[in-house]
Amino acid sequence: MDNEHPIIDVRDLVFAYGDNVVLDRVSFSVKPGEIFVILGGSGSGKTTLLRNLVGLLHPASGSIVIGGEDFTAMSEEARTEARRKMGMCFQAAALLGSLTVADNVALPLREHTKLEESTIDIMTRIKLELVGLGGAGDLLPSELSGGMRKRAGIARAMAMDPEIIFYDEPSAGLDPIVAAGLDQLIRTMQSTFNLTSIVVTHEMESVRIIADSICVLHRGRVAGIGTFDELAKSDHPYIQQFFARQPDDAGATDEAYARSLTGID
Amino acid sequence: MIEIVGRLGRWTLRQIAAALAVSVLMVDTMVWLAVAPLRGRGFRWRSAVEHFVEFGVRSLPIVGMICFLVGVIIALQASYTLGQWGANRYIADLVAVSALRELAPLMTAVLVAGRCGSAITAEIGTMKVNEELDALEVMGLNPIKYLVAPKFLAMVTSVPSVTIIAMLIMILGGWTASVFVVGVETEIYLRQTVNAIIEKDLVIGLVKSFFFGVVICWVGVYRGFQVEGGAEGVGRLTTASVVTSIFLIVIVDLIFTVLFYYL
Repeated sequence: MDNEHPIIDVRDLVFAYGDNVVLDRVSFSVKPGEIFVILGGSGSGKTTLLRNLVGLLHPASGSIVIGGEDFTAMSEEARTEARRKMGMCFQAAALLGSLTVADNVALPLREHTKLEESTIDIMTRIKLELVGLGGAGDLLPSELSGGMRKRAGIARAMAMDPEIIFYDEPSAGLDPIVAAGLDQLIRTMQSTFNLTSIVVTHEMESVRIIADSICVLHRGRVAGIGTFDELAKSDHPYIQQFFARQPDDAGATDEAYARSLTGID
Repeated sequence: MIEIVGRLGRWTLRQIAAALAVSVLMVDTMVWLAVAPLRGRGFRWRSAVEHFVEFGVRSLPIVGMICFLVGVIIALQASYTLGQWGANRYIADLVAVSALRELAPLMTAVLVAGRCGSAITAEIGTMKVNEELDALEVMGLNPIKYLVAPKFLAMVTSVPSVTIIAMLIMILGGWTASVFVVGVETEIYLRQTVNAIIEKDLVIGLVKSFFFGVVICWVGVYRGFQVEGGAEGVGRLTTASVVTSIFLIVIVDLIFTVLFYYL
């Protein structure tokens, strides 16, 4: 695939829960092999956007073209087929609690391929080794730490050798060292396998390290798209606020705060 | 007044929505159970067998014990009336017929609903809360195929199987009380039992218990998929699952009893 043709092309995506419009005409495109970060605060719609991209939610209008095919217009069967080219790491890893880590990673292989059990065994071990969980295959997900669980989630997402991988808040709830380790892993995966990676996050530190391009979402709309340096120079007030890590009522004084608490003028 | 009508209307709409959702679930399960394996898209036999062991074999101790005791209780209660007429030998008829037609299927279903219907809801509910259902879907694994179809097959086969054993144990309970407490002779008790029951009694009991299995599985699954918002939601709907199951089991029981009354 030539590098100029986008692997994911989202046009005018609208998604609403009832009357509450969560995504409002979102458009962006992702180049093959890049790490594309969807950045936004809580409630900006970034997780909803991700769930639309993997087909867990269905948009009201707009199109999502993945690898040349319109993902939104597909039949359920074609979508299942298309999903084999994608992997997703959930925020809390979402490993099946009743299966061991190795069985979790082997699950897509067992269900979708007719490979020999011994082959699946080797492939599972390779995937676990890849994410640095070589010896943890026989443990249950509940016996792993948060960071290890996310690594196992990545191994499972990589099981079918996808072309695109989605990460939902990979560093949420982890200490800085473990989070940095995960950022490094995301980078390694991308550079080793030329893996297109979509990362949803609000952690500015990881964005600086991993992002090739960034799409900033604000209240369901795209506030800006560009590289880290481009966006840092943006004059959009929300992007400035986000990059400078300023609270919403940055101008409010201590006196005004006291007044709002006591109700006395 | 208007408020009452409004509430009634909303309640009705909710029930219709629930019925629609369950119908969709039914059709999906049937497709994955009957059509998909024929088209070579696989059925998880291993999981079905594991669930059969869980729903059936592991339910046997508690079902067996309860049914034995219920057999004892019916025999003693029957003796209270029949004894006055010197008709204690008919205890056997009463125990056998009520065990086959009514009590063994019902007790088994209620116990399995409490043991396994709740477990199904808790399992699916927890998986939903932990995004595991989403993970299955993203991996291209249909939750109905992966989770529901094997459970359904296991439930509708294990409940009738356990019921047959429950019937025998209930008759054994009746025999124990009659022989050792009331003083009926074993030979007479057995002869009365064999003469009292006809094939139809067994068929009625098994048809009922098959549909009890259907109810337990679908209520459990439906309540599981309904779970929202964390551990508290799982707990609430697990309770709701058992209550709904038992309620619907009694309704289904009533429908079949009326039906067979006229047949």
